[in-house]
Amino acid sequence: MRRLRSAVAVGAVVTLGAAACGAPKPSNSGNGSGSGSSISVQANAIDPAAKGPAPAVPGARKGGEVTVYATSPPSTFDPTDIYFTDSNEIGKLLFRTPTTFALRNGKPTLVPDLTDVGEVSDDKLTWTFTMKKGIRYENGDEVKVEDLEYAILRSFARDVYPNGPAYQNTYFKGGKKYKGPYKDKDADFKGVTTSGDDKLIIKLAQPFSDLPFYMSFPMFTPIPQGKDTKQEYKNKPLATGPYRFDKYTPGTELKLARNDKWDANSDAVRHDYPDAWTFKWGQDHIKTQQQVLNSNGPDANAIDYNGVDASLLGEVTGAKSSQLLKGESPCTSGIQLDSRKIPLEVRKAIAKAYPYDQIWKAAGTTELSAEPASTVLPPSVPGHKKYTPVEDLDGQGTGDPEGAKKLLEAAGKLNFELSWYYDNTQPVPQQVSQVRADALKKAGFAVKPLGVASAKLREKKSDYDASVNMGQSPAGWCSDWPTGGSWFPVLFRSQSIEEGTTWGMLSDSVLDAKINEINELPAEQATAKWADLDREIMEKYVFLPSTYSKMADVVGTNVGGAEGDPTMGLPFLPNVYLKS
Amino acid sequence: MDSAAIDGQRVRPVTVKANSKSPTRIALTRIRQDRVAMVCFGVFAFFLLVAVFAPALVALEGQDPFTQNQDLIDRNGQPIIGMTGDHWFGVEPRLGRDLFARWAYGARPSLMIAIIATLTTTIVGVTVGMIAGFARGWVDSAISWVIDLVLSLPYLLFAMAIPAVIMAAMGLSDDAPPEVVADVRFWSLIAALTVFGWAGLARLIRGEVLSLREREFVAAARVLGVPTHRVLRKELLPNLVAPIVISMSMSLPGYIVAEAGLTFLGVGLVEPAPSWGVTIASAVTSYKALPHYLWIPVLSVTVLVLALSLLGDAVRDAFDPKTRR
Repeated sequence: MRRLRSAVAVGAVVTLGAAACGAPKPSNSGNGSGSGSSISVQANAIDPAAKGPAPAVPGARKGGEVTVYATSPPSTFDPTDIYFTDSNEIGKLLFRTPTTFALRNGKPTLVPDLTDVGEVSDDKLTWTFTMKKGIRYENGDEVKVEDLEYAILRSFARDVYPNGPAYQNTYFKGGKKYKGPYKDKDADFKGVTTSGDDKLIIKLAQPFSDLPFYMSFPMFTPIPQGKDTKQEYKNKPLATGPYRFDKYTPGTELKLARNDKWDANSDAVRHDYPDAWTFKWGQDHIKTQQQVLNSNGPDANAIDYNGVDASLLGEVTGAKSSQLLKGESPCTSGIQLDSRKIPLEVRKAIAKAYPYDQIWKAAGTTELSAEPASTVLPPSVPGHKKYTPVEDLDGQGTGDPEGAKKLLEAAGKLNFELSWYYDNTQPVPQQVSQVRADALKKAGFAVKPLGVASAKLREKKSDYDASVNMGQSPAGWCSDWPTGGSWFPVLFRSQSIEEGTTWGMLSDSVLDAKINEINELPAEQATAKWADLDREIMEKYVFLPSTYSKMADVVGTNVGGAEGDPTMGLPFLPNVYLKS
Repeated sequence: MDSAAIDGQRVRPVTVKANSKSPTRIALTRIRQDRVAMVCFGVFAFFLLVAVFAPALVALEGQDPFTQNQDLIDRNGQPIIGMTGDHWFGVEPRLGRDLFARWAYGARPSLMIAIIATLTTTIVGVTVGMIAGFARGWVDSAISWVIDLVLSLPYLLFAMAIPAVIMAAMGLSDDAPPEVVADVRFWSLIAALTVFGWAGLARLIRGEVLSLREREFVAAARVLGVPTHRVLRKELLPNLVAPIVISMSMSLPGYIVAEAGLTFLGVGLVEPAPSWGVTIASAVTSYKALPHYLWIPVLSVTVLVLALSLLGDAVRDAFDPKTRR
């Protein structure tokens, strides 16, 4: 994801570590990762033959109402604008997309949903997706292939939907100029067309082998032009999935009811076991987690997706461990060094002095919420290889101030000034900044942490022309889909600086060419090459990895079928049922 | 005439004199005889001593409130030690700072803010109240209107706004270092408590002055041509000692609670300043794992406030001529 889910986003961007807790998960032996890491590698599999209905979840029954708690409300439910993982996961109950991920033994597998998984032309620039017939919206209208086309056109109106994913602007033909169907009514946009009543044709400006994965985003769910209410659409989006909006109070509560127009036989992934869902936002997470753990009355049917708080660690690893839902998360966090402003020798010295352990503790990271990172790609992305970490980039240790000082002296850069932004209105980020400042000062750096109020922090951190030279955003990155293609091209090409999503401000045409070359390979061939590139980039010391995040949420005693969704780092909602 | 008889007559007034005490002295005697009041005073003195000698106490323990002992914290942020000889109250989760040192230093802002705010509100309240009551006419109307206005303002909202206003007024941007922010927060807390604390006392004093100014001794002083400021200081003020002392002793615990409460809400003192409110706010989340982390500051605030409130009651009773015990 461009950003971590909103609840974690604050944590990750600000404290460089997600919040939560725990004992190490028993090593998943036999997951084929061979990495020794407790997070397993996702299989990058596509199953083009998957058909509905979805295989039944063992023991599942229909009925009941599930309550879902979270502190931070999703920013939007307009499918075009959804990029955060929370609304994306909830969207899996509401929106059917051209392709989608099924969970098989906990691993995501891309399967056909509204269309097939696509066919690419020989020049790799034209993709054709064939739509299934007989799919209906909640109001009974049939989904037309033009609705799929319109939804894609709509995503180009970035003035109206600024937060959604933006790969289409780079990859689709004419995507850089087209401004969407509202402004460019008569524009001759060639990127998306239809043919017959079931063929969706996408023309690309450059090869994009991961397009079928991208088509699983809510952005690609069909929207009929006649029903598009623009900014209002987020309050009552038209559902194609097993549930529809019943009652929505933005920021507080969302009730979903069964969508009786949804046909289970056409859907290879989703179930509709509960009668209804109620999402409640804005309550203190420790309180709701305690409620869910106690499971009194309706709270037995509840799920909390905030990530377990450290203070409940004893309970969830002890007597109530059956209510702990552990899983994988597609994210890596760390801190970036601006390679335009800090020379390589100094970057090495920073890595040597870096107080990984102290920051881990000060940020409130726990063994349930994360594990130390030493690569760009997290273990859940195929292409992750646990190579011997580059010196001082293993996410562990208390730092070596004397060693770092020697490196600095050798480079003649003693008292090199380092500065970064931090949130000075929250105690934890403030303390983390203090810990970092103390350790770097001890190693002979001059430090200048700049405190900023929470409200201004995102803006300051995304300003790449700011005076600071480390710690700009993004501090954490999550896969948009499980391949290196949603990491390296986004984070390490020269254009990443302009796009506001760089780690280290690298601007190296040789590296750009290398990334482009791998990116154009089919996913299976690219996987191994991404791993080698991972190490090559780490050796540039532009990013100090700190943690791979993990998912750890709590569920009520009556909730069944809950498992982690590794593509989102949240509980996989379509399989959830109530035991009684 | 028998000289002895005259001497004997002269002796009598001396024995009578032993009974003529000022109301303040009577009150003090009464308080001294009140066992509850003396225990409460002892508690207050204890916390005062802890605050004053915090550096010495902490040096005795061999720690300080800012050093992070992260070697005493496990990978999940929990302390691996309880209360030990090195760390009398144990250490904080996540950072491992010494809790006894933070408790001892934490008594300082609570008491300092409460005492300074009590003094400033008393000075402002008494001055304004006396002027309003003595001047009457349009001055009184204007001041009374201001008092009503202040009393009707939403206290919490303003308490939240004042730090930002002060930061802006001092030309400090949002990126000021935490130490400066902590300082500004300290004084803005006092400012907030003062702005909202004086009005009640001013109204009380105004009422007292209104009735006193019609009394004969005031009229006599004015007829003699004593300047107004002298009438206020020498004639009226001594007669206001009782309400002032009572108001002070009642507001002191109120301000301690206000400081801890506002800090807990995030608008008072901020990290890294040691303060009970700051500790309580961060301890709430680890209550299950480390109950003493929360209980020590909470009990300290409770005991101190209870002691000061009871002491305040005793002071009021002692000054009240109607109480007979």
